[in-house]
This record gives sequence, C-alpha cells and structure tokens, in this order.
Amino acid sequence: MVAVASPRFGQRPASPATLAELEKLTERLARKPAAHLLVDGLSIGYSTLRGRFHAVEDVSFEVPAGTNLGLVGESGCGKSTVVKTLMGLQPEATQVSGRALLDGQNILGLDETALRDVRWKRMSLITQSAMNSLDPVYCIGDQISEAILAHEPVSKATAWARAEQMFALVGLPAGRLYEFPHMFSGGMRQRAVIAMALALNAGLLLADEPTTALDPIMQSQIMTRIRGIHAHLRCSMILVTHDIAVVAETCENIVVMYAGKVAESGPTAEVLESPLHPYTMGLKNAFPRLPERGAPRQPLISIPGVVPNLLLPPAGCRFASRCPFATEVCHRVTPPVVQVGAQRAACHHTDRAAEFRVAAARPETWRTMRGAV
Amino acid sequence: MSTRHAIDPSAPLVIEAQDLKTHFQGRSGILSALVGVKPPSARALDGVDLRIREREIVGLVGESGCGKSTLGMTLVRMYQPTDGQILYRGEDITKVEGRRLKAYRHSAQIIFQDPYSSLNPRLTIGQVIEEPLIIHGIGTAAERREKVIRALELVRIPAEGNIDRYPSDLSGGQRQRVAIARALVLEPKFIVADEPVSMLDVSIQASVLELLDELSRELGLAVLYISHDIATVGYICNHVAVMYLGRIVEEGRSEDVLMRPLHPYTQRLMDAIPRMTPGETPERIELRGDVPSPLAVPPGCRFSSRCPYATALCEAVEPALSDQAEAHRVRCHIYDDRAARAHPDLPAPRAGKITEVAETGALVAAAEDARWQS
Amino acid sequence: MKQASPHTPAAIRGRSAWSAAWDSWRQVMQDSFAVVGVSILLLFVIIALTAPYLAPFDPFKAMMTETGRLARLRPPSGEHLLGTTAFGNDVLSQFLHGFRVALLVGLVAAIAVGFISTLFGVLSGYFGGWVDDVLMRITDVALSIPTLPFSIVAVALLGPSIENIILVITVLFWRNGARIIRSAVLTERERVYVKWARAAGASHFHIIMRHILPNIIRVVFLWVTMSVAFAVLTEASLSFLGLGDPTVISWGQMLNTAFSSGNLRTAWWWVVPPSLALVMLVSALYLIGRAYEEQTNPRLRKR
Ligand SMILES: Nc1ncnc2c1ncn2[C@@H]1O[C@H](COP(=O)(O)OP(=O)(O)OP(=O)(O)O)[C@@H](O)[C@H]1O
Ligand SMILES: Nc1ncnc2c1ncn2[C@@H]1O[C@H](COP(=O)(O)OP(=O)(O)O)[C@@H](O)[C@H]1O
Ligand code: SF4
Ligand code: SF4
Ligand SMILES: [Mg+2]
Ligand SMILES: [Mg+2]
Repeated sequence: MVAVASPRFGQRPASPATLAELEKLTERLARKPAAHLLVDGLSIGYSTLRGRFHAVEDVSFEVPAGTNLGLVGESGCGKSTVVKTLMGLQPEATQVSGRALLDGQNILGLDETALRDVRWKRMSLITQSAMNSLDPVYCIGDQISEAILAHEPVSKATAWARAEQMFALVGLPAGRLYEFPHMFSGGMRQRAVIAMALALNAGLLLADEPTTALDPIMQSQIMTRIRGIHAHLRCSMILVTHDIAVVAETCENIVVMYAGKVAESGPTAEVLESPLHPYTMGLKNAFPRLPERGAPRQPLISIPGVVPNLLLPPAGCRFASRCPFATEVCHRVTPPVVQVGAQRAACHHTDRAAEFRVAAARPETWRTMRGAV
Repeated sequence: MSTRHAIDPSAPLVIEAQDLKTHFQGRSGILSALVGVKPPSARALDGVDLRIREREIVGLVGESGCGKSTLGMTLVRMYQPTDGQILYRGEDITKVEGRRLKAYRHSAQIIFQDPYSSLNPRLTIGQVIEEPLIIHGIGTAAERREKVIRALELVRIPAEGNIDRYPSDLSGGQRQRVAIARALVLEPKFIVADEPVSMLDVSIQASVLELLDELSRELGLAVLYISHDIATVGYICNHVAVMYLGRIVEEGRSEDVLMRPLHPYTQRLMDAIPRMTPGETPERIELRGDVPSPLAVPPGCRFSSRCPYATALCEAVEPALSDQAEAHRVRCHIYDDRAARAHPDLPAPRAGKITEVAETGALVAAAEDARWQS
Repeated sequence: MKQASPHTPAAIRGRSAWSAAWDSWRQVMQDSFAVVGVSILLLFVIIALTAPYLAPFDPFKAMMTETGRLARLRPPSGEHLLGTTAFGNDVLSQFLHGFRVALLVGLVAAIAVGFISTLFGVLSGYFGGWVDDVLMRITDVALSIPTLPFSIVAVALLGPSIENIILVITVLFWRNGARIIRSAVLTERERVYVKWARAAGASHFHIIMRHILPNIIRVVFLWVTMSVAFAVLTEASLSFLGLGDPTVISWGQMLNTAFSSGNLRTAWWWVVPPSLALVMLVSALYLIGRAYEEQTNPRLRKR
C-alpha cells in the first residue's frame, strides 16, 4: 500500500517553541472544570408529513459535574434525539421546549455562533456512526488538528502535537496520524474519533452508542479507554446505549427511557437492583446474563408487544399496552413521577414495586400478554 | 424454557465439517495476471472441524472478521470450500451440483442478521414464506397456503390478518420471525443462524432466541448459532466453538467453555463482556495490536502476535487441538506439552506467566498516566 | 385489516412486477411537475393520433394562390393558420404530422433502448465475473463511439429512412442505460433476500424475475423516459442536418428546410412551432424523468 503524501511527510521532533506552546495548551485545557448539566422538561417534536411526531416528552435529568449518566431504552425511544438536540443538531422545524442548563446557561435555542462556542469546547459528541464520518481525503492527523485549530489560537505544529497526545491516550501509535481513514480498521477509526472528540477537553462528553457496531473485545477496549480518559480529564459524560451492563460498569446514574418519556431514573446500582418501574424490570430480565456454573439458568424474558405510535401517543401510561400490571387507571391517566429514595419512576403503582419485582421474574407474568401484536 | 437439555451423544449427526477451508482469492488485475503474479488469498476459514447433532444448537463466537459467517456460508454451500469436506447425514455434499445441490438446499437453511433487509419489501408476508415452496415446486397453491399458515403458527405470528401484510408493517422482531418461518417452511434439518438477534432490541431478542430453542427441540433441528453476544450463546447453546483467525481454538460444552475458559483468547473474550453486577468486573488485560489479516496469517500459533503468554515456541509451532476433560478441546501449548517435548530448545508458555506487556496500548497509556499525575 | 375468510382465494396474493411499476407510477404522479409533464405528453399523443384528421391539408401539397402562383412564405392567415413554407406547403399540416414522427421515433427507440440496456445491465450486474467483463467491455467500446459523427456516417451509409434513424438512435443510447441499470442491479444483488434466495436454491431466472426486476423497474422507466427525449432530439438533429427520411415530415426537417431555404430568421411562423414543440416535449419528459429520479435516489427525496 502506498501512503499518499500528507502535508508533513515523515515525523519530525517537535521544536522547543511548539513544546512550550503545547504545555501551555495542555495546562489551559486541563484547568477546564467538568460540566454540570440540568435538563428540565425537555420536549422535542419532529414535524413530519403525517403530523407532529412526539419523539421526546417532558424529559428531565441531571448530570452532576464529573459523573457519568447512562441513557438506555429500546431503539426509537428518543435517546439520540435528546443527545442531538443538546448539541443543537436537530433538523430545522423541530419543536423544542424546556431547558437544558450547561453550567447554568440554557443551551437550547442558541444561535449558530453561540453554538459553535459550546460545541467541541464545552460539549463534544461521539456518534454511533462516527467512524464513518471521517473525511476519506484527509489524513487523520490533519482532521484532528483542524478541529483543534478551529477553537484554540495555537500554531499548526502545536495542534499536531496535541493530536499526537490524544492518539497516545486512545492507544494508537502517533505515526498512524499520517494515515488515511481507509487504512484503519473500524475499531481504530472509532478510537480516532474519540481522540478528536476529547482533543479540546470538553467538560461534557455525549457518547451515542460509541461501541454498538463493534465486537465485544473492541467494545471493551474502547469502553476501558473512555473510562480511563474520563478519570484523567475529569469530564462529565452522557452515555447512550442499549446495553445495561455497560451502564452498570460505567455510569453512576441511569435514565431509562420508554417511548419518549423517562420511565425511571436514579443511581445505577439502585435502579438495577430494585427497579420501581415495570419496564425497567422487563428490560433487566430480558437482558441475557452469563451462565453460572451449576446454577440453573435464569429464564430469558421478552417484553411482548411493540412501542406505541408516537404520532398518536396513547392516553395514560405509554407502557400500559405492554405492562402486565396495568390497571384501568393506567390506560386513562398519565402516571405521576414518584420519588422513592434517590430513585424516580413514572408509574401509578410504585407502592407495589416489591411485589411486581417478584412477579416480573417469572416468565408466565409476561407470557399472558403474548400474541398482542 | 431456556434451560438447555443435555445432548444425547448417540443422536444422529446432521452436519459434519472435516478440515474445512475457504480461501478467497483476491481478484488480480490484468497486469499482474500477465506477469503471472497471483494476489495473496485471504484464508478466511482455514481448517475447521465441526459436528452438529439432531436437536443440538452449537454456538460459534469470536471477534469480527475471524471467519464465523464464512463458516456458516460454506456449510450451506453459498461459498465453495477450497478444501475439506462437508457431510450431511453422512453423505458428502462438498462438491455436489445440480439436482443434488438443490436437494441439499432444501434441507439446509440460513437466517441472516439484518431483519430489515432480509425480506423483499414488495412481497407480502405470505409470499415471502411461500417463496421457498415455489422454488422447490412443492404443492398446489392451496397446499402451499396451508404450509405457510403452519409456518407462521410455528413462529407465533397469527396468520390471520398478517399473511397479506407487507414487511414494512412489522416490527424488527416480527420480521426476524418471518425470516425464521421462511427457513422452516421447507422443514429443514439444519439451520445456520448468523447473528439472528444482534439487530433486535433486548426486549424482543429473548423471544426470538426462545423460539429457536423450542424449534430445535420440537423439530429435531441442528442449529449453528453465530453471535458476538456471548451471553445469548450461553442461553441457547449446548456446545460452543470459539474461532480465531479462521480456526477453532477452543470448543466444548457451553458451561465449560464460557465459565472455565482455558485458551488465553477465550479468557480474554469472556473478560471483555460487561457485567451487570458491580464488583464482578474482571481485570482486563488489553490485547496488543489488532487481529492479523487473513491475508498474512502469522506462523506458529495464530494468536501469538497478541497473546500475553506467548513464547518462542508459540511463534514457531502451531499447537494442535488437544482433548481436555469432557469433550473440551483447546488449541494451546499451555495445555498440550507435545510440541514442547518435540522442541526442548524453545521456551514453552506457562499459564499465568505474562511474557510481554502490550506494546502500543497499555504501555503508552501507563506512560501518559505518569505524565498526567506528575 | 383483511380477514382470511373462506371466501378468499386459497392462493397467496400479492403484488406483481406490474403492480410495482404501477405503484411507482402513482408515486411519481404525486409530484406536480410530473403531472404537468404527463399532461403535455398526453396532449402530444392525442395530437399525434388524430393528426391526419386535424391537418387541414396534405402536408406535401403545394398551395397555389388564386393567380395560380405558388403560395410562398405566406404569414399566418385565416386560411393557413400557421402560414406557408417557402415551397407553398401548409405549415400547420406539416407541424401536426411532425407529432407522429416525433412520437413514433421516441417510442420505438425508447423501447428498443430500454430492452437492450435492461438486458445488458441485468446480465452483467447480476452475474458479474467474466459475463460482466465481456458485456462491459462491449459497452465501453460502444461508449467510445462519438455520437454525432457516428450517426451522420451511419445514416449516410444505410440510407436516410426512419427505420435506420431509429436503429442508429438505439445503438447510441443503450450503452449509458446499460451502465446505469447495471449499477442499480449491483445494489439489488447484495440485498439479503437475494442472498437468501440463492441459499434456498432459487434459479437465477427466479431471482431476476422476482427480486431484481421489480426493484429496478423505476430505474428502467427513468432511462426509457430520458431515451424518448434523446431520441426525439437526435432525430431532429439528423433531419436538420439533412439526413432525415424524405418521405415523412418531422420537426427537424421543417427546421432544415427553413434553414436551407434561407428563411430561418424571417419566417417565424415556420420556425417557432416545431422548435417550441420540441422544447415542450423534451421538457415534459424531463419533468417526468426528474420525478422518477427523485424517487429512485432517496437523497433527492423531499423531506
Ligand atoms: N467474499 C470475500 N472475499 C474476500 N474476503 C472475504 C470475503 N468474505 C469474507 N472475507 C474475509 O474473510 C474473513 C472472515 O470474514 P467473515 O465474514 O467470515 O467474518 P465474521 O467472523 O463473520 O465477522 P463478523 O463478526 O464481523 O460478522 C474477513 O477477514 C473478511 O474480510
Ligand atoms: N428527523 C426526524 N424526523 C422525524 N422523526 C424522527 C427523526 N429522527 C428521529 N425520528 C424518530 O424519533 C424517534 C426517536 O429516535 P431516536 O432518538 O433516534 O431513537 P433512539 O436513539 O432512542 O433509538 C424514532 O421513532 C425516530 O423514528
Ligand atoms: S403506570 Fe400502570 S401501565 Fe404504566 S408502568 Fe405503571 S403499572 Fe404499568
Ligand atoms: S499457544 Fe502460546 S501464543 Fe498460542 S494461545 Fe497458547 S500461549 Fe498463547
Ligand atoms: Mg440512536
Ligand atoms: Mg459475520
């Protein structure tokens, strides 16, 4: 394979001036504090040909500075919509209401210039398909240093040196900065994108399914990196995933979404240990666990039925059509958010959660609903 | 229920692969063809033995690109093997063509990963499931309809009201069940399921897995279940094979392989799985480098370029599969001293003795750590 | 939702390739530009069919004045709505007959082009390998033929008849179509259901008819639509260059006679109608084609 010439051919040791500038940049970036994010009553409606699509409704959560928040839920429940809107990347004509306070400043409805200041510097994004978003005609190093130059008043050499630093952080040899995206494997490209997202040490990292497309070894390597870097850089993170085990390993807090609403939120350990919302119980039981030697296998339980159509959201609880514990009131009245300890759940019957948890562990409970298409 | 029964070792073998190889020849340009240079071939599948009995579900796991799908596609004769044999109920079908190949296609089916593009959007559910019957010229229109309805019942989709719907009206889980119904309507004896649930939501994965499990027991199907998701393999498989770079490196009963993995690669693969309960998370040693390309398979043990225990012996001599307890077989010098005895001059690997720290990742990260802390 | 009652036929129903074509047609008709295009086209077809009844005179008949002289270059009047040519022919009658030629050439050539390019495109895209190599080398050779010089030489050699012109047009336009259809087939061939059908033992014929053709029919339609426009334009250019069939009247020929008699700039009644009709026909086809293109290429699809 021929390495096509990049602007800087071969590796030169950085000059003392560059090193000094790099040191200053690193110091400046390291002084950035972790961000605090408060999302309050966020509703997002896409306009479609067939009317308003209520992708997200009245979502509230908080990311305390320096912590990780896991956002989980079925596909289509609005996880990416929340993340995209926080970055100001929602399509035009999308109705957004509510507040999202990043260190006290509302970032919803900022104009492009103000957003440019927030993106990358204070908040950066790794998307699911990020590894395909690299430009095939520029070498990776150029793309990372461009991103740095766009926001920091440093020389090109310094930006490049910073890119080398970030490459080391994600476990890629600096020499490979000169290579083009097609020369990288999927996992390496994903790591390069992570390096880019971290280069300006944004206070808040939004990671939308950063490892979903990858195999378990690559997935664990990348998650290990992200966790390690997170510890270094002391940033906050929202991790979107459908793998609750990844959340269990990585995040202090969890938000479980269902059909555009928050079903349950709270500290990860508590929510997974003693869920209050029947959907969380179902999700936990449906999640395959490793077999234990000698122990009988836990039955796998699937949640019957499908997510409601959000063009015409049903009245009452959105989970009611699939919930084995639904009562008459569930189909009629939108459930209130109930706080139990540090956990919050939107369910009419949180008082019976202990009883539900026992029942939810039995496959028959869910099977009675089967055939509901 | 998902407690997997034990397999009767005398149950008849449905499919057997013997030293199966599938190499992909790169297409040569006109110039190199004139000069007579053959482009290197990708050794995607490079000597695999596998047996699946009636009612058995064999799991196949491994990293991306290790050759799992190639094995599946070769077993259903979608790829022509370069070498080795495929026996279907004792009959050699490696090279059959024409009528006999079509007869084999009748008995062996494959289910693909992507439920969203595996059904032709222009056909109704009924037409989709009827298609294999038409291909094999089975029955009259009325008889075919009967069979289609029965197949839909098998996958628990009510035929009434669904048979004339289009795939776009169905959820991912339902589509995957239609794909399974399409595979079942010919009453096959062997099914390759290549990541059948990896694109489905967790909440519906379970129902598809359970279905596969029940069907294999009720219909006596032999299933090859290919997946990245080791936890689901633990759920429905009797037997698990772990592949690395075109070869099986470890196989055995699923509890043995998944709970007490012997091969360093399997151990790493198991450690990589995220755990739900905090504190259960194992220590993860990062593998160095990437999977070698099947275009340039390393000499000796294929895993030696990344194995933390690798020694000179590993780099020189490829280990053979050795029998451990109870049908548990491993391809590693640590568990098999035959090669070490034949080459006393080369140091042999020992369990737990790490010979080298990963050169790129961990080292650099450690150095970085020191820098950041200081 | 339909119920499977005892009265429903026992066989499984569904859509055929034709209904696929019908579907995409209906979708195209949701585009208002396409509706305009189709209306114009329809009008043109009606005129072409009824031209002999609509035309007030024989298009070749030389008109005489009362004084017995040739009625040359008469501007529009009550008798000759679009005036007369330098040879005393009624322009309106010639113009109306021109519709027949334009549509005949367009339709026949487009069908031939559509058939050949589909055949080549499907065979080479679906089978790939050496079939593809051979067919695409042939296509490449065809593509290297320069359009205008080739048509001039070919028509000059074969003789200027409408059949030969259609032949030349077909030879010229199947080649791009084959490439476009081939690339559509290449995408279709990789669909999971095509792979599955092969694994289930389906014959190539079965796969092509059931899975490939219905899904590429829009691309074929798009190409056929565009070919009609190319064919009409090519016929007009050849006729304009004096290589038209002398036994029929086409718009190109009208322009050619106007030009060669030196009246292109002055006899506007003679020049404008055929030019306008050509522009309208090509634009109508373009509008329809654009609507198809929009459908075929999701990137252009409106939100
Ligand atoms: N048609 C082909 N031509 C050339 N090489 C191929 C072909 N198909 C697969 N390969 C190569 O063979 C190797 C094994 O591929 P295979 O698809 O079997 O991997 P896999 O284990 O199924 O991976 P994944 O988990 O990502 O699906 C890969 O290196 C791949 O690039
Ligand atoms: N641009 C859009 N226009 C209309 N609907 C959209 C758009 N983007 C996403 N949606 C819909 O919004 C819902 C939530 O989408 P998303 O946030 O991507 O889900 P998740 O990330 O949880 O899988 C889905 O039903 C999706 O189809
Ligand atoms: S509110 Fe009712 S339907 Fe909704 S989750 Fe609670 S019990 Fe189930
Ligand atoms: S043979 Fe050597 S290199 Fe291969 S897995 Fe065993 S210890 Fe590692
Ligand atoms: Mg998403
Ligand atoms: Mg695969």
